[in-house]
Amino acid sequence: MILAKLALGAVGTLAFATVYTFREGTIRVDVDEHRSGGSHVHFWVPATVVPAALHFVPDDKLQEAVDRAHDALPLVKIVAEELEKYPNADFVQVDSEDQHVKVSVHSGKIHVDVQDHDNDVHVVVPVATIQDVIENIGNRSHAQ
Amino acid sequence: MTAHFRKYLKSFSIAAAAAMLFTPLAAVAQTASTTASNDRWLHVRVVSSDNKGETVRVNVPLELAEKVLPAINKDRLHNGKITIDRSEMEGVDCRALLAAIKDTKDGEFVTVQAHDSDVKVAKQGGYMLVHVVEKRWAEGKDGKEIKDGKSTEKSRVEVKVPMKVVEALFSAGKDELDIVAALRALSAHGDTELVSVKDEDNTVRVWLDSKNSSD
Repeated sequence: MILAKLALGAVGTLAFATVYTFREGTIRVDVDEHRSGGSHVHFWVPATVVPAALHFVPDDKLQEAVDRAHDALPLVKIVAEELEKYPNADFVQVDSEDQHVKVSVHSGKIHVDVQDHDNDVHVVVPVATIQDVIENIGNRSHAQ
Repeated sequence: MTAHFRKYLKSFSIAAAAAMLFTPLAAVAQTASTTASNDRWLHVRVVSSDNKGETVRVNVPLELAEKVLPAINKDRLHNGKITIDRSEMEGVDCRALLAAIKDTKDGEFVTVQAHDSDVKVAKQGGYMLVHVVEKRWAEGKDGKEIKDGKSTEKSRVEVKVPMKVVEALFSAGKDELDIVAALRALSAHGDTELVSVKDEDNTVRVWLDSKNSSD
């Protein structure tokens, strides 16, 4: 009986953790190089993991990244805030015989799709994650 | 009792999990329904007629552009305003010109009919209209124009901008164009075609409506 309760508790906790982790969505990156021996990278991570992982980035490395992206950060912050208002929209689309590029937002996630002769690249990032990361970086750099 | 409690706990857990999962979606759906009715979108479409048949579609919500532009400070763009180089204006005082046009009745202000192109600038129904037609003359085998030959249209540019937008554009300092003010003025307008360019290589369309896609 105790084991059953423990198992129920463990399963419940796991279910809760899973739901919490995935409610923010996932970040997906798919890269396929068409040349022979080209690399194929496919990975996804739960979006909630990214802001948490930022806490483990050493201060000097983070500062280096902040300095490098200093001019772009306010812009990215505004864009991310504004994109929340447009959960489903195609912003840029380029189609030609040998190239397809699309930047869109679907269900609150930014999709960047690039297909050409050499590569297929698909990136999906929840808008909320970008906001979290920007906020996190801002807080960390102010705290230093 | 325990069985009832377990059943209740199970139902509660499922409901809580479902609520947590769908809360972001519900928020997204709510935002979508509120933005869809009010937003004004600026669309740009470029269709190239070369071998690759490239088509470029850009759809930008005016509100997003209004917020983002002031954050870009690069080259001549600062705080949503573009600095005009006086030397490029060749002595033309656009603000004085605009002030004169603003108080004038509808009509055609500039009409140029030249060998290579026809240009018309007019004010009509609260809009500033600019039409430019570039001509191509029939050529002989030697590549020279045939005397008394006919001309065909090489390219056509049509610009139709609400006067309020033009006024807002020139509302900043003397040597500045206030892009953000122009976008704000534009957002008050109904669906309208702003720019249309057609030549041998490309067809360009810039228009404003409340749809979030260009087709």
